[in-house]
Amino acid sequence: MTARWTPRTGARALVLVLATGMLLGVGACSKSSNHATNNIQPAADHFRLSNITGVTPSLQFNMTDSNGKKVTAVNYRGKYVLLYFGYTHCPDVCPTTVARMAQALQELGHLANRVQVLFVSVDPTRDTTKVLREYTHNFGPHIVGLRGTSAQTQIMANRYHVTYGLGKRDKDGNYVVAHSSAIYIFDPNGKARLLARATDPAASISHDLRMLMGGA
Amino acid sequence: MQTIHTTRLLVRTRWFAGIALALCAGIAMANMSSISVHNPRIRLLPGDLPLAGYFDLHNGGKKTVTLTGASCPDFGKVMMHHSISRNGQETMVMVMKRDVAPGKSIHFAPGGYHLMMMKRKHEIKVGQELPVTLHFRDGHTMRVNFRVGGATIQ
Repeated sequence: MTARWTPRTGARALVLVLATGMLLGVGACSKSSNHATNNIQPAADHFRLSNITGVTPSLQFNMTDSNGKKVTAVNYRGKYVLLYFGYTHCPDVCPTTVARMAQALQELGHLANRVQVLFVSVDPTRDTTKVLREYTHNFGPHIVGLRGTSAQTQIMANRYHVTYGLGKRDKDGNYVVAHSSAIYIFDPNGKARLLARATDPAASISHDLRMLMGGA
Repeated sequence: MQTIHTTRLLVRTRWFAGIALALCAGIAMANMSSISVHNPRIRLLPGDLPLAGYFDLHNGGKKTVTLTGASCPDFGKVMMHHSISRNGQETMVMVMKRDVAPGKSIHFAPGGYHLMMMKRKHEIKVGQELPVTLHFRDGHTMRVNFRVGGATIQ
């Protein structure tokens, strides 16, 4: 079927043109008014991390914590949750990321008590409960390690589109686990709010957590 | 007769080797003096988890130097690694060498290049200094003490 000019489509096109013009006009106005007010007062504060509200699923999982206790997302309701997937045999990126979260919590002072960091192992074979406990203990009181069966881990990773893959084993049986490195931030109701990437500094994480807590 | 000859040869060879070594050492010192290492540190993790070693290396000389590896008597294995992002995943690759042009610095820093230190031979504690030897392509080496820091050092 070919498009044909009819009075009806013509009217539609006119409405479209008018609407676009109005939008552009409004855009131009708001732009100029922004420009005018910028010198008088600073723009409203914005999140420095990526806003994932309504895009990423809520916090949900069935895992075992680093004390050996079966836990679900409900156990962490009431806390702002920082969720990170990693593995303890990772000498560089994982501790660097966890240290960045620890730094952000330090910057938050007493507000850090409202935050829980969850370190989810993507290498449950080597990351036993004991290894995870010793590992997370090194980064402060607000971090707990989670591990699950391969299936549980896979389900959790899939939920947040986190991918991971085991590299080739060397002659000592060691292997690298490639994995996504983002930090997902959830509010006390378990709703996904923000995503921090490797390039986001600790200051951005603490800044945005303060904003979420309403104390920016 | 044959035995004596071999012994003499050995003695002579040792003399030559000795002189050669002394000469090399002299050159090494002259060359290595233009290399400086800053902020050498190791981030401690518990158990026998692999550790990362970080440092900055500056080449103040007139020729490019090539770092080919590192070793430390406190670890069974030390490798040069690079953390990279590939298809949205973080992973590590082994690095065989890093060139340092004259007047330039290279950085082994969190989230990038690092020494991957594995199979520790004894317990390691925060505050210790561990001797790390850096190896260069021309055969020169440089010993640097790396300070052991806690899990959250960057």
